[in-house]
Amino acid sequence: MTAAYDPSGVHPVIGVDAGTATLREADHLIRDLTTTLALPPGTVACTHLIRTDTRRGTAVSLALPDGESAKEAWRRLTEMGAPLGDREAAALAAAEHTARRSGRAVLFPGAELLTGTIPLSDLLELTAIDRVIVVGATSGATPDPVTPVQTQDHIRPEWRDGQLGLALVPAAGNTLVPFEVPNPTPCCADHL
Amino acid sequence: MSHGHSHGDHGHHHHHHHGDGDTSSLPPALDTSVPDEELTPSQLSRRGMLRRTGLLGAGLAAGSVLAGAGEAAASVPEQSAKSSKGGGRYLWLAGDHHIHTQYSSDAKYRVIDHVRQANAHGLDWMVITDHGSVTHAKIGVEKVNPDIVAARDQTDDTLVFQGLEWNIPGAEHGTVFVHPGSNEVAVLKEFENSFDGSVNNASGNSPANEALAIAGVNFLADQVRRRKVKDALFLANHPARKGIDSPHEIRGWRDAQPTIAVGMEGAPGHQAGGIPKPNGPGGGRGIYDGSPSADSFPGYPLESYRTWGGFDWMTATVGGLWDSLLAEGKPWWITANSDSHNVYADTAVRGPGGDFNANGRYNDPVYGGGISLTDTDFWPGQYSRTHVGATSFAYKAVMDGIRAGRVWVDHGGLISGLDARLSAGGREVTLGGALHVRRGAQVDLVIRISLSNGPNWAQFQPSLARVDVIQGDVTGPVADKDTFSTPTTKVVKSFEVDKSTGTVRLTYSLGRLDKPVYVRLRGTDGNRSAVGINGAAVDPVSPAMDVLGDADPWKDLWFYSNPMWVLPA
Repeated sequence: MTAAYDPSGVHPVIGVDAGTATLREADHLIRDLTTTLALPPGTVACTHLIRTDTRRGTAVSLALPDGESAKEAWRRLTEMGAPLGDREAAALAAAEHTARRSGRAVLFPGAELLTGTIPLSDLLELTAIDRVIVVGATSGATPDPVTPVQTQDHIRPEWRDGQLGLALVPAAGNTLVPFEVPNPTPCCADHL
Repeated sequence: MSHGHSHGDHGHHHHHHHGDGDTSSLPPALDTSVPDEELTPSQLSRRGMLRRTGLLGAGLAAGSVLAGAGEAAASVPEQSAKSSKGGGRYLWLAGDHHIHTQYSSDAKYRVIDHVRQANAHGLDWMVITDHGSVTHAKIGVEKVNPDIVAARDQTDDTLVFQGLEWNIPGAEHGTVFVHPGSNEVAVLKEFENSFDGSVNNASGNSPANEALAIAGVNFLADQVRRRKVKDALFLANHPARKGIDSPHEIRGWRDAQPTIAVGMEGAPGHQAGGIPKPNGPGGGRGIYDGSPSADSFPGYPLESYRTWGGFDWMTATVGGLWDSLLAEGKPWWITANSDSHNVYADTAVRGPGGDFNANGRYNDPVYGGGISLTDTDFWPGQYSRTHVGATSFAYKAVMDGIRAGRVWVDHGGLISGLDARLSAGGREVTLGGALHVRRGAQVDLVIRISLSNGPNWAQFQPSLARVDVIQGDVTGPVADKDTFSTPTTKVVKSFEVDKSTGTVRLTYSLGRLDKPVYVRLRGTDGNRSAVGINGAAVDPVSPAMDVLGDADPWKDLWFYSNPMWVLPA
C-alpha cells in the first residue's frame, strides 16, 4: 500500500494505492479503511481508475472533513506501514479528488440513506449528490422528482466539473436504476 | 474445395456438396433441378425459407461475378463494372460466426447439437468458436476437429467452419476462422498458442499487448500467403461491451491486414439476456451491463456500455464509431451472431461428471427436466442472422463474400431478402461495393426488400415498419486514430413500409455527386425508436437504449446493411 497526502484545497485529501485492480476490490478497500482508520462522518471516499504506463488498476482517495481528522487518518495509515515508494497512483487519486475532476464515491454524506427504492428527489435532497444524469434519455426530458429509484443498495456518484453526479438509467415500470450494476457479468464467465 | 477433398489427417473423403461454385455442387435445397418431393423435411423447410426471399434460383449463375477477393487494401474496395451486376446474382447465405460448444468452459452443447439447430433454423454456414484458453490450446482445438468434420459429413447443406474465439491481447474477443483443409487445426493451434491473450497472459491494456494482437493478425495473413490455409478471417466480437476495444486498436487491426481483419459484430449475441423476469434472465440484452474499468478506453461515454435496439453502440450510433471508420473510405463490415453458449428456455444441462481441464471438454449434455429461464442465448439462426452474398455454396465463397462486405444482418426474421444497389449510368454496385463515377454524375439507390413472408422462430410474422437511408461524406484517413465520430453522417431518408408480405421497391436519389460519399441502410419493426445520441438532426428515429431487465428481443427488431460507396473522379 502506498499513500499520498495532499493537504491543499478546501478538504484535505489522502490518496491510497493498495494495488487493487478492479472497482470491486477498491470498494472493499474503502470499506476496510472506513473501519481501520475510523473515518469520521462527512468523509468522502472515492475510487479512481488508474491508466498510467506503469499502473493499470484502481486507487482510492479519502477527503476528510477537516485537517485534524486528516492528520489522524494519515497517522493511522503510516502506522499500518504504508510505504512511501512509487506513489504516482495515490497522488493521482488525491489530486483528482481534490480538484473534483473525477472519482467514484463509495462513501459520501447521506450514502447510508440510499437503500431499497426511494423517490428521485431524495437523492438530491438527502445526500451530497449534486445532480443526476439519465443515460440513454436522448429526448432530453428531465425525470419527475417522484420517479422511484431502485438503489440496488449500490449508489456510486462521480465527481465531474466540481459536482457529484449520479448516472441513472431507465428501468422496468417507469423507474430508474443506477447505471452501474452491482455485479456485472464477468468477462468469459457466461454461466460458469 | 472439390469433391474427394481430404480433411486433414482424418482421411475423410467428401461425398457431398461443398463445391467450388459449379451449380452441380449446390445442396439439394438450393438446387432447383431437385424437385420438392425428393427433399427431406429439413431440406424442404430450408427451400421454403429461400422461396420467401424470392431469391431461390437467382444465384445460380454463380461464378460469373465478383472481383478479386483481396481487394480491400487501404482503400475502398473496387468492383469492376462486370462484377457489379448487383445483389440478385449472388446466393445470399445466412450464417453465424460466433458459436460455443462443450469445448468452451462456459458452454455445454455438442458440435452436432449446434449444427443441427443451425441447419433447422436455416443457416447455410456457421463457425465453431470455442474460447481460446490454455486448456483449449492444449486439447480442445484438436479434439473438436473430428466433431466438426463429422458434422460437415452429416449435414450437407450447412457449411461448418472451425475457428476459435480469440482473446485479443489488450482487447475484447474476436472470431478467428480458417478455410477447411489439412492444416486448419495446426494453424489455429499455433495462432492460439502464440497470440491468445489468455494463453499468453496478455489480456491487460498495454502497448506490448496491442502489438501482440497486430502480430496475430499478421500471422494469419502469412499463413494464407504461404498457403498453409486457403483463407482466414478475423472479426471483432461484442466490441463495445466493456469499452476495451479502443478506436485505435480497431484501426490498427484493420490497417495491418485489411483482407484478414474485416469487421466486427454490429449486434452481439446473448440477445435473450434482457427478457424480463420471471420468464427470462432479466439482465442486459447482449449481456451488456458493464461500466468503465482501468482497461477501458477513457473516451467512451457510458452510453457505449449498453446495446441500442440490440445493436452495439459502435454500430447503432449514426455518426458514431462505425461511421467514423467508413468515412475514412476503408472497409469495416458488421455481422450479427448468436454467441450461443446456453440456450434460453432449453431443457439440456451440462453432462455430469467429467473434468474439463483434463478432457478439454465437458461431457455430452443430458436432459435436465426443467427449462432454463435464466439463460441468455438463442440457437444459431434462431434470432440473429448474417447474410452473405456468395458466388456459390462453398467455404471460399462465404469467406470472399464477407471480405467483400456483401453482408446484411437481421434480427428475428424481420426481412428475408435485401437487394440494394447504387447505380449511375449503366454501372451499379451492391453492398460492400464502390461505384466509380464521373464527377457530377447522377447516382441512384434502389432497394428491393423481400419482407418476412412467413413466421419467424417465435412463430409470428414480423412487419417492416420503416427503412432508413444513412449517408455520410468520405473524408479520408483520420489523424487521430482514436476518433469515434464523423460529423456529416446522418439519416437522409426514411421510408414508411408497414408490410410483412411480398416485396417492396424503394428508390432514393443521391443527386449529382461531386464528392465521395457512402450510404448504408437500416430498418425496423417500428416498435421502439428514440432520438439518436447525436441529436434529431442526425438521427430522429434511432434505436433506443435497451433497458436492463426489460428488453424483450422479439419486440424490437432491426436489420442493418453494410455500406456502399460512390467515388466521383
